[in-house]
Amino acid sequence: MDSTKIIEVELISKSFAGKETPAVKNLSFTIKKNEAFGLLGPNGAGKTTTISMLCGLFNPNSGSVKVNGFDLRTDLDKVKHQIGVVPQDIALYPTLTGRENLEFYGAMYGVPKQKLKLEIEHWLNKLEMAVSANKRVETYSGGMKRRINLIAGILHKPELLFLDEPTVGVDVQSRAAIMSHLKDLNDAGMTIIYTSHHLEEAEKFCSDVAIIDAGEIIARGKPTDLVTSHEGCRDLEDVFLKLTNVKMRD
Amino acid sequence: MRRLIAAMKKEVLLLIRDKIGLSILFIMPMVLITVMTLIQDAAFSNINEEGVPVVFINNDQDTLGNRIEAGLKQAEMVKFFDEIDGKKATPESAMEAIKQGKFLVGIVIPEGATEAVEDNVLNIVAESMGMEEEGVELETKTAEVRLIIDPVASKSFVISISSQLREYISSVKTQIMFETFKGEIASLLPEEPEEKESKYAGKQVILYNQEYASALVGEIAPSAVQHNVPAWTIFSLFFIVIPLVGSIMREKTEGSVFRFHTIPASYLLQSNAKVLVYVGVCMVQFVLMLLIGLFLMPVLGMDRLILGNSYVGLFVIALASSMAATGYGVLVGALAATQQQGAILGSLSILVLSALGGIWVPTYVMPDIMRSISHFSPLNWALDGFYGLFLRGEGLTEILPHVGLLVAFFVACIAVATAINKSKRKV
Repeated sequence: MDSTKIIEVELISKSFAGKETPAVKNLSFTIKKNEAFGLLGPNGAGKTTTISMLCGLFNPNSGSVKVNGFDLRTDLDKVKHQIGVVPQDIALYPTLTGRENLEFYGAMYGVPKQKLKLEIEHWLNKLEMAVSANKRVETYSGGMKRRINLIAGILHKPELLFLDEPTVGVDVQSRAAIMSHLKDLNDAGMTIIYTSHHLEEAEKFCSDVAIIDAGEIIARGKPTDLVTSHEGCRDLEDVFLKLTNVKMRD
Repeated sequence: MRRLIAAMKKEVLLLIRDKIGLSILFIMPMVLITVMTLIQDAAFSNINEEGVPVVFINNDQDTLGNRIEAGLKQAEMVKFFDEIDGKKATPESAMEAIKQGKFLVGIVIPEGATEAVEDNVLNIVAESMGMEEEGVELETKTAEVRLIIDPVASKSFVISISSQLREYISSVKTQIMFETFKGEIASLLPEEPEEKESKYAGKQVILYNQEYASALVGEIAPSAVQHNVPAWTIFSLFFIVIPLVGSIMREKTEGSVFRFHTIPASYLLQSNAKVLVYVGVCMVQFVLMLLIGLFLMPVLGMDRLILGNSYVGLFVIALASSMAATGYGVLVGALAATQQQGAILGSLSILVLSALGGIWVPTYVMPDIMRSISHFSPLNWALDGFYGLFLRGEGLTEILPHVGLLVAFFVACIAVATAINKSKRKV
């Protein structure tokens, strides 16, 4: 095992019943530790399917995934201890307060009680949620929900954090705050795997990106390298449109 | 353990914060049990205390008609009328009044009914004493007693009133026969016997005693409370399926399940926490239902619920019923794809299982095939267990087979639900 690699994906494919084309086709890639890796692609490209397989939500039909050297099929529980997941949906209980949600998820991750209390206070303060922490989630704005959703995924300080569209539907201020703290986490050594439609955001945040379309990786590299290697492209969005076509997707 | 406690705390908080859900869980069952018991008690007492309205037309005006009239006037289940709107009832006016729902049954004794009975008796006497002419068959008169029935009258009531009528007719016939024989025998004696009342005639020789096959002898008289409180309690316990399925489906649709599957704690732990909390809710529901039977029913003029001899048995059957109900909820939650689907599947299946289980009507009145099917309803197992304790005075040992079935049902539901959830994740 290469100790610098945290993710090793080898020829994974996934098809769903009733769908003619596979969601993911023979995907292979590795991600280094401490990377901020962006998985970018249009709707239906296979981003969420790939992330779901990487965090063990379901198995690929073929191929293998190793997380920090542990095979997902045989060592799923060990993998789960090392990862944090921030799903695209707000996976919070609307009638519980922000703090109650965090206490619940922290306990589920097995964070010791005292440590959990400190972690919750730390993150509530950092993401400016301390004042609203005792209000029910159902009363929060979209941005506030996203911030609590993020905290719920990092309370146990995972080595590897999966973020599926963490800033979708939030205002500019909340988005800036979320991305700034994600940058801090990454700087502190946490590997982040991130999907987004905000290509400008991804360009700034990610140290490595892969553009996926129709279940296959069509480009991979540092954002700046991708821009320079594609003629006529000024930024990552131009590269993305050039590679995935301007035609709208369902 | 800390994870389990945290998951249970979350479930309790979710329940407490859901005011509508709480009212469904606690207030609705309490209202249901009170209303249903009151209605059924009223239906029961209507027949036994006030009596069912019966209009009687005595065109015979002789022994048979008068005997039936006297009998009906004394019968507890009958409220006797021989007038309609202040006028003497006729077959036509009775038919019209019954159509309008003023009476449940009308009885018309035709003119000459007693004469027909007497005639028949005389023929029997003549035949048995060899007094009929050889080769000549005596003419037999007939009289038709009419029973006019409101179609809404229950079949059991109609059967009951018909058998009472037959009993009156038979007793009048016997009396006439006895008197005729007595007269004939007297005419054969050399000396006319002294006319005196027989000291044996009115003597009751066949005594009638009604007793319940129950260990609670002297303590219980089966009543609407004793029957309905356990039946509707079980029905309410199984309706835990609705809020439970709602809770499961919300977690599925709101994305919590997604996060659960990435947490290093098994989903079974989440499921177990849910089961433990909802079983606890069922037990609280159960206690509230018993309190209604013990304290509210007497205030409303009904009998007080008698809990039987085994509190341990009561706790065990309540726990097993709660587990079965909760397990079924988990299974419906696993089967359903949406919250709506879960609510419909849960509520309709509980209605079917409760109907089959004898909650609505006793299983002994069901056709054979339905009675056989009823043995597969967990509500039937629970009801039988409760009846064992509340009505037959049984103890824990006697109800253990029911407890075993309910626990097995719970285990099977959880196992199937787990398998379904696993297979859905493999898709």
